[in-house]
Amino acid sequence: MFDVAYIRPNNLSEALDFLNAKGAESKILAGGTDIMVDLRSGTLNTRHLLDVSRLDDIKKIEVLDGKLSIGAAVTIAELLESETIAASAPALRRAADKFASKQIRNVATIGGNVAHCSPCGDTIPPLLIHQAQAVVANPQGQRNVTIEEMASGPYHCSLHPNELITHFILEPKPPEVDFADFQKIGRRQELAIARMSMAAMASKEDDDSISFLRFALGSCTPTPHRFYEIEDFLMGKIPTEDVLWQAGKILAEKMLDITGRRPSAIYKEPAIQGLFMRMMSPLIQ
Amino acid sequence: MKLEMITINFTINGENQQLDIPAGMTALELIRDKLELKGTKEGCGIGECGACTIIVDGRAVNACLMFAAQLDGREISTVESLDQADELDPIQEAFAKQHAVQCGFCTPGLLMSTHALLTEKSNPDRSEIVKAISGNLCRCTGYHSIIAAIEDAAKPQPKEDK
Repeated sequence: MFDVAYIRPNNLSEALDFLNAKGAESKILAGGTDIMVDLRSGTLNTRHLLDVSRLDDIKKIEVLDGKLSIGAAVTIAELLESETIAASAPALRRAADKFASKQIRNVATIGGNVAHCSPCGDTIPPLLIHQAQAVVANPQGQRNVTIEEMASGPYHCSLHPNELITHFILEPKPPEVDFADFQKIGRRQELAIARMSMAAMASKEDDDSISFLRFALGSCTPTPHRFYEIEDFLMGKIPTEDVLWQAGKILAEKMLDITGRRPSAIYKEPAIQGLFMRMMSPLIQ
Repeated sequence: MKLEMITINFTINGENQQLDIPAGMTALELIRDKLELKGTKEGCGIGECGACTIIVDGRAVNACLMFAAQLDGREISTVESLDQADELDPIQEAFAKQHAVQCGFCTPGLLMSTHALLTEKSNPDRSEIVKAISGNLCRCTGYHSIIAAIEDAAKPQPKEDK
């Protein structure tokens, strides 16, 4: 039992009016799977919970003008069940498949996963490789925020208290891309917080050289990032085992550049290379 | 401390309810403390163990991670809904037959995850079973007997003459 008020607006404008008046002492509630844990542990203290999970306007998955639009209140289970997601964002589908447990997938939302700004958010590396932007509504109108800009640090969301993510706009998978994946390492198979996560999509020319690649890393750095060095290194190359190990080594070095050589590096350095190989090895032909 | 109150309407185990509850009450507190349906258990309280699994609008969820307020307008089933007119549900029978219960604390949650799975898909394969119950921890059985029970429950049962 927590000492909070619960408000469920009937539409988006009611939600925004409420946030404009009381945003600073409110928390936006969608699935609640992070909020409840944070309230219980005492890391979150808030006066009002604004439940946006039933706003139909922010629950759609659709392709509009060649872009994939995903409502912020779409649940992880709905991502997993969507044929549009399977076709246009297969790495995101993979992440949804590996996300927490059935019970949590059924209520947790993509908007909540992004806005929580955990370095380990499973939907974030796939969103990064789709160059996703969050469309954020506020009393003045709306603005677009890239996924990179969303987190100003671990668990620190850069949005203002009167703002609400309504949906995400993704570049759909290009038709020639026939490889897309998301991989993570946790302490156990299910329900584990990712220690390390990554997403990629790629295509190859007839001569087997890589002609398209986007790669993003999660969990290992304070906020998830695209790793352009890996993309640049592999573009135009024929992905042999040797080339991929070299790319994995560059990835490990770049990660350590960002985090510094912490005690966990002795594990993370080989693990990140191994996970990279596991994910990318289907490209070897 | 005066708690903020709200009114919610919902259906639980087939029965309509309208209740005034504190806005910050969890679904688990509503079920166990207010409605006194003690079948749903609290294990970890943070969505890791699945002992509090209930079904909301056909989907398995953790009652500990939900506010009671979120149940407004929803249809809820708890483990008490399985046992109708003193007849065990086929899932319960299969758990008993396969000795899938030791201490029993995880059992209500596992029964509800199984119920949600079999409602969604009547003939799941082993990997689908494992995935569907991976949010339910059991520290006694090692899961083999649980998975065997779910496989049994999924099989069409031969009708016995009585």
